[in-house]
Amino acid sequence: MSKSNVVELGAEFDSLFQLHHDAVYRYCLRRLGTLDAEDAAAEVFTVAWRRLKEARADNNRAWLFAIAYRVIGNHYRSRRRRRGLVARLAGVAYEPLAEPPLEFEILHRALAELRPTDRELLQLSSWDGLTRIEIAHVLGIKENAVDQRLHRARSRLKARIDSLNTGSPETKEAPA
Amino acid sequence: MIDLLERADPARDANPDFIRLRAKVDERIHRPTAKPGIRRPWLNAAIAFGAVSAIVALVAILRLQQPSIYAPRLDGLGEVPGIEDVVKLASGGVQTAAVDGDTIWVVTALANLLQRISAVSGDLEMTYAIDSHVEGVVVGGGYVWLLGYDNGGEVLRFDSSLGNVDLRLPLGGAPAHGAVWFADNLWVSNDQGQLQRISANGEILETSVGELKGAGLGYLWVNDPSTGLISSVATDGTRGEIVIPTFEGLDTMSGNGVRSVIEAGGRLWLLDGDFPWGTNLSVFDPATGELESFGGTTFGLLAIVEFEGSLWVTSHTDHLLIRVDPETGEVTRFSVPGKAGGVFVADSSLWVSLYHPGSLVRVDPAALLEAGDIVVDDWDRFPHRLLCTGDPAGPRVILEPNSWIDYGSWSVIQAQLSAQGFLVCANGFVDGDATPAERAAALDEGLTEAGISGPYVLVAAVDGVHSARLFAEGRSDIAGVVLVDPIPIGFGDFYDELLPDLDGHPPWADLEETVAGDLGDTPLLVIGHDPTAVFLSRKFIEGAGAEAATTLNRYWREGLEFYSGLSTNSRPLEAEKTGLDYVLWDRPDLVVEAVIEVSTNP
Repeated sequence: MSKSNVVELGAEFDSLFQLHHDAVYRYCLRRLGTLDAEDAAAEVFTVAWRRLKEARADNNRAWLFAIAYRVIGNHYRSRRRRRGLVARLAGVAYEPLAEPPLEFEILHRALAELRPTDRELLQLSSWDGLTRIEIAHVLGIKENAVDQRLHRARSRLKARIDSLNTGSPETKEAPA
Repeated sequence: MIDLLERADPARDANPDFIRLRAKVDERIHRPTAKPGIRRPWLNAAIAFGAVSAIVALVAILRLQQPSIYAPRLDGLGEVPGIEDVVKLASGGVQTAAVDGDTIWVVTALANLLQRISAVSGDLEMTYAIDSHVEGVVVGGGYVWLLGYDNGGEVLRFDSSLGNVDLRLPLGGAPAHGAVWFADNLWVSNDQGQLQRISANGEILETSVGELKGAGLGYLWVNDPSTGLISSVATDGTRGEIVIPTFEGLDTMSGNGVRSVIEAGGRLWLLDGDFPWGTNLSVFDPATGELESFGGTTFGLLAIVEFEGSLWVTSHTDHLLIRVDPETGEVTRFSVPGKAGGVFVADSSLWVSLYHPGSLVRVDPAALLEAGDIVVDDWDRFPHRLLCTGDPAGPRVILEPNSWIDYGSWSVIQAQLSAQGFLVCANGFVDGDATPAERAAALDEGLTEAGISGPYVLVAAVDGVHSARLFAEGRSDIAGVVLVDPIPIGFGDFYDELLPDLDGHPPWADLEETVAGDLGDTPLLVIGHDPTAVFLSRKFIEGAGAEAATTLNRYWREGLEFYSGLSTNSRPLEAEKTGLDYVLWDRPDLVVEAVIEVSTNP
């Protein structure tokens, strides 16, 4: 590879960073909290730099989120190796919030008690604002499965919220 | 609902510090060398020219737990299909190995031992104690060169005719990252990206900048800090005649980037250890200048060698030896009985070093068991497999490992039970993040897909007991249960309260107890480790104190009583001379006997 190629790749990377650094950072923040979000975002772009030739010209955002998804998974694994408390991990995603309204608090608890796949789907859709096609790319599933899974995840979330509001024993179940 | 969810986004108004984030990225992608003082997670040491490539930081990446204090009974390894010779080594396993003709030199992981093994006879011929923490070994110039971690990093020249270290050379203030014997010289790069060329008589001929990746095609291959690319170094020291078009050589300190390079079939193969993406194998063709990715293969690739026209790659995380056809790209995975580290060729045979149980094994590739089919690959987890062997019409035995351990841990037990007419299915789920419920569901799904119905004898080790109990819950097809040193309820919390100053309990104590019912009158044997065994290792005791070790051991022993109470038809067993969590390795015979007993117990 010539040095001119390196320069071209550098420009492409700069553009990628400029456009998407905030979305990637927020993605990491939602899942890791303030303590690790910045490092995780930096790791996402480090991987992106090495894999720049694989970037999807049609949808760089989905490509970056797919990287972020794996980086976050790796962070979780590292954390669990260190301390391994599932509940702690589920809770830390919302650390940056200031005192949240009660309805949010219940929703966050309900989210934390969902299966990781359900939680991720809901967050990618509602918080990260990804399209159905982008979600499919990030999670490595078929596009037509996204709608079905989203529907099921929303139903489960609603059931959790309802049971939390009524204090049903179901709420004591450990998060997945 | 959707609106509420959107409004509840905790990061909706959060913005990153652009400059700081960009600085962090730039630091990672433009800095080719180590940050001083950071212990490297991967050490690419001992890339012996044309023979061995091995990663030697196995202690850090495998398990925090130390090996059993007992010498494992390795005899059974020879009964595992495809395993021909077994060379028993010191507990602690192989750190790295190098080949010199028919001699294999091994550095052990924990005990600072250098061992000489005959590749022809498989005999352990000599063991030398080295007065230094040694992490790598390379052979060349009539000497054995050891890469030492002490004194800020040093090279030790070992004279095998005298049986001692006769020369020590400093390594520029950082331990070795990699070493190769090439063009009649020893080339060593350290963690700070300093490359030294050392003559056989111990003279430092040249010091330059670069990070060693391996040798092949008549060149040395070094990460070039000025471009972040891997480029050639000719025998006369000329650099950059060939440049590999990859950025993968950039960031070895975070465990990413190209780990080693070997030549095969006139091309250069690059083993890339990029964790978030799994690992990757790429091939560089010097004729075209093209670099082609072979795609991700599996997690945790460690070492690579060419043997009989195929590439052989070890994967320690899921107990696999992987064969890659360099022409067709076909990938075949084989089960090996332990955590594989190095892979190399000696005496015209393929050898694999197992970190645990510490041994070298000569393998017959044609007789190895292919890994089971993937039955669950969900949520980006590492693939889950079910490996079934034995008589399809025989009584069914399910082996559920503890987390972080794959089904290779059952190899000896599986081979012995299969030989006795059982149909034995080992559940392979290496992802320690999987919850007990997920593991139980995966096991059920795997058995259903394989068409293997009950009744089953269920055997579970350590924290695998949680998923096993969930699997058994509500079923009427469990003929018997054997629990092998099950982890006591609340052990992780007890550990943390007892030892608040240590860095948390071991990872395998992470899984919380899963609520599951009892086993009624199902025949149950609960095998506990040797009651006189101390908790963990001598190293642990040095750190935490003997009293803490005794307390933890007592807690574990008392916890076994809970499990014995799960059935009205149970019996406790003590496995003499077994370490905690090491019953599978130390006394496989006892587990086999237990399975036979519960399967014949009415």
